[in-house]
Amino acid sequence: MKHEIICGPGYSLVEVKMSPGETLVTESGAMAWMDPAIEVQTAAKGGVFAGLKRKMLAGESFFQNTYTAPAGGTLALAPGVAGDIVAHRLNGELILEKGAYLASEPGVTIDSQFDGLRGLFNEGMFVLRATGSGLLFFNGYGDIQTVDVDGEYVVDNGYAVAWEPTLQYTFTRSRRVRAFLFADQLLLRFSGRGRLWVQSRSPNSLANWVHPFRPVKSSQHN
Amino acid sequence: MKINIQEKGAFGSALLNLAPGETFNSEAGAMYRASANVEIDVTTRTRGKGGLLAGLKRLVGGDSFFLSTYRTTDGRPGEVGLAPTMQGEVRAVKVTNMTPWVCAGGSYLGSSDGLELDTQYQGLLKGGFNREGLFFLRVAGEGTLLVNAYGRLTELEVRDALTVDNGHIVAYTEGLQYTIGKAAKGLVSSWLSGEGLVMKFSGRGRLLVQSHDPDRFGTRLGGLLPPREA
Repeated sequence: MKHEIICGPGYSLVEVKMSPGETLVTESGAMAWMDPAIEVQTAAKGGVFAGLKRKMLAGESFFQNTYTAPAGGTLALAPGVAGDIVAHRLNGELILEKGAYLASEPGVTIDSQFDGLRGLFNEGMFVLRATGSGLLFFNGYGDIQTVDVDGEYVVDNGYAVAWEPTLQYTFTRSRRVRAFLFADQLLLRFSGRGRLWVQSRSPNSLANWVHPFRPVKSSQHN
Repeated sequence: MKINIQEKGAFGSALLNLAPGETFNSEAGAMYRASANVEIDVTTRTRGKGGLLAGLKRLVGGDSFFLSTYRTTDGRPGEVGLAPTMQGEVRAVKVTNMTPWVCAGGSYLGSSDGLELDTQYQGLLKGGFNREGLFFLRVAGEGTLLVNAYGRLTELEVRDALTVDNGHIVAYTEGLQYTIGKAAKGLVSSWLSGEGLVMKFSGRGRLLVQSHDPDRFGTRLGGLLPPREA
């Protein structure tokens, strides 16, 4: 399987050249174009319960699509947001923020993981856990930057895309009381040693920005 | 202070290296990544000016205009990444004592410690016609100002006069003055032109404009969404 990330970094897509008999699993809806000979199977990977859990808990699509190329062919995949794609050769485990998953080889299993109470204030308190070996594609909104953490590193909640399981994290706020009162910035404090991928834009921030532009309900409807 | 602008592609951001003892300010909440030795403080004032009232003035301005201040706590260097909400360019503007800049509130991303900020509330008559136009920041001193644009930035040299839609204004040098006026002659034809009120600049100086007007995007998008509670 060969791949090329095109139109990057602002508007990345990944074009995958599949050899005969090869299979790729994707987030549903990610296919942009493909050879017609490629076969698509939509199934809840790992059974209905695992799929439901992913959908309900991590906000990922319920169904993952499985693309098989009996005679080989090209499959192009696009993320839902504009930005970077990372092609990661997984061997072991990687944690993904919900929404970051794009596609993976069949040797990679995607499951949602409840991050316990430490995730209480986080929108993505359910994260995705990718395990196994094979190619894994994930994406972010904006630039994706890598940070090799050795010790501690701080990321605003909503900007962490993926991290190695050797990193632990806790939620923290800006230290000063005034910061708490006036600008409620919730931060993820990573510690340990491992790689962290950070995106340079946040879909949540954009949604908050758009909010005031919504029309206001007229009082007659109340 | 070393400022590294990530400018490839459509999503600009800035990564600062803070030396021990240095501080940097940004719009509150603009930090998206930082080394763990960076302390974040949120202030309502800058360098002896304004106090709480100035902070409230910024709040009234419609933007979340409290400033975050970053410094390292352990006597070692640190790093801070700053990113705007919208997609588009980030640029570092050198400000000198000779040439203060005026920056549209929504275009301000951050500024180094040597720069003093003062809000210029435009009042209803001058700035009240547009969210973006509600306030400007006067940026004076020696240092670096970080601005963000919705889309790409273009620098225009004004030699005599220039009319600019206020949704495209990012920043300009203080030697320029402006008046609010109508784009077309009559009130009706001005309204029909879709331009409404514009800023008529005069004097000599530099002007940074953005390729797209965030308000128009917001209006377009907001209209497609279900109504919100008042």
